[in-house]
Amino acid sequence: MKIGRIIGTIVGVVVLIAIVFTAYALITVTHGGNEQATQPVGAGVPVDLPTTMARGEYLTRAADCEACHTAPGGQPFAGGVAFKLPFGTIYSSNITADKETGIGDWTDDEFVRALHAGVDNKGQPLYPAFPYTSYTALSRDDIVAIRTYLASLPAVHAPARPNELSFPFNQRWTLSLWNAAFLKKERFQPEQGKTEAFNRGAYLATALGHCGECHTPRNHGFAMKSGKALAGAELEGWRAYNITSDKEHGIGAWSDQELIDYFSKGHAAGRGTASGPMGEVVGYSLQYLTPSDLASLVAYLREVKPQQGSAAPAAAAAAPTATTASASPGEQLFVGACAGCHLESGQGRQTNYAMLTGLRSVRDPHATNLTQIILNGSSLHVGGQEVFMPSFGRAYSDAEIAALSNYVVSHFGGQQGTLSAEDVAKRR
Amino acid sequence: MIVLSINGQDTQVDVPEDMPLLWVLRDVLGLNGTKFGCGMAQCGACTVHLDGQAVRSCVLPVTGAVGKKITTIEGLNATDLGKRVQQAWLGIEVAQCGYCQTGQIMSAAALLAAKPTPTDADIDAAMSGNICRCGTYVRIRAAIKQAATGQLTLPQTIA
Repeated sequence: MKIGRIIGTIVGVVVLIAIVFTAYALITVTHGGNEQATQPVGAGVPVDLPTTMARGEYLTRAADCEACHTAPGGQPFAGGVAFKLPFGTIYSSNITADKETGIGDWTDDEFVRALHAGVDNKGQPLYPAFPYTSYTALSRDDIVAIRTYLASLPAVHAPARPNELSFPFNQRWTLSLWNAAFLKKERFQPEQGKTEAFNRGAYLATALGHCGECHTPRNHGFAMKSGKALAGAELEGWRAYNITSDKEHGIGAWSDQELIDYFSKGHAAGRGTASGPMGEVVGYSLQYLTPSDLASLVAYLREVKPQQGSAAPAAAAAAPTATTASASPGEQLFVGACAGCHLESGQGRQTNYAMLTGLRSVRDPHATNLTQIILNGSSLHVGGQEVFMPSFGRAYSDAEIAALSNYVVSHFGGQQGTLSAEDVAKRR
Repeated sequence: MIVLSINGQDTQVDVPEDMPLLWVLRDVLGLNGTKFGCGMAQCGACTVHLDGQAVRSCVLPVTGAVGKKITTIEGLNATDLGKRVQQAWLGIEVAQCGYCQTGQIMSAAALLAAKPTPTDADIDAAMSGNICRCGTYVRIRAAIKQAATGQLTLPQTIA
């Protein structure tokens, strides 16, 4: 009897807390936080903004809106890009000025609220694949400038594709609970005592560039782990590397120029070539940053707390290992199919971008990004040229691609590749 | 309009930015000496020089060649080295059906420009991406050596 009463009380309290929390979540879902905040130091556009580029265009590129809101071969900003998540597929929306299918009817305030609170013009929660968790830090001035730029572009009539999500993830109201638990609706605050470049870099990397949305590991609630900022994560079959200042696991050993080359050209010799989702970031966003913003971004990344990424490949530079007497199947494939552009030495011939030595992707024993590139090819639009590698997914079997990946990882990365044909099949 | 420097001449072409250089050379400019083989950088038939480096033109978007010196088989004889390679190819009578030979010659010329006296290993490495269905590999090796040394070289035979 007594125990029954205690259990009853506990259940009652839990239900009451749940009701209060839900009520709080539903009431506050459309609140964007402090909307009166003034433009902080670090926000806005850099002093060396080219005169040919509008403020809003620069900020739109720095926030990389286009990569997610432009489908392959589709109209810019008309949406329709698929995001395959563990609980279903969602599609990005049309953010052109079309009144019917885009955001032409939204007011500036509604657009600001969308980025600060993660709700649409009707107050309906948006899915956090839209990185409002980062954009919430953007200044109102910057968001309005982005809005003005988007409104100046051609309106495209493109109805949104319905999301394909399982229950309960298809219930948008539940996102109010997620927001109440994980979304801090706070504007960017420059850190006192830090340089102007650091604070500008922080604004670029967090609020605008939302680097953490891919590079920061997520907790069980699928929210970014703040203590693990930029420590590396895996999503949509790609590894977003550890980009903390750790010398071995992160990018601490890269020189300033190497970082700037990577951001502005998508390639830093002996360090990395941007492919897959990062190739899009370079193509749509980073290559447009001004020299002062590139320097600021570097200044910020230098001070990101070093982290030992769990699955990050060690940075030990490895010289190509000596070839054994008889060529393995992986080596035979490499010489026949890859060396034409990459050279047997991995130094690259077709373009500078074809250099394999030193890359993190060839040091990863799981060969995560390497197999993605072999299966799907790579295409990078940078500096007015297209850097291109064809896909080999249909040309070779799972076993062949596993053998090839293991050869590349051991020959150029000095790691023991552990890929099996089943692993490759899962990544197709 | 895209401006390309081909065999020492600036040439204007009106083509999409992602068109492979090989398409531009053959279909737009009529320079048919460079061959289409596999279309995916696997056979070497489409090899041309970009600033002296042998590249596969079938997978090179045309914008990747802007601002660089393109040399095709039609322009190879502009240098002494190019002439020597051609002479060696004729002297040894390398070609059988001939389809891959443009690519073989271009790869060989790029090799000799970088390494005037290549070893067998150098030749293996540089020529590994050029496939010949007729199996003229032995004569190709002899021709490369003849072009390098200027001395008559007999193709290796099975003793």
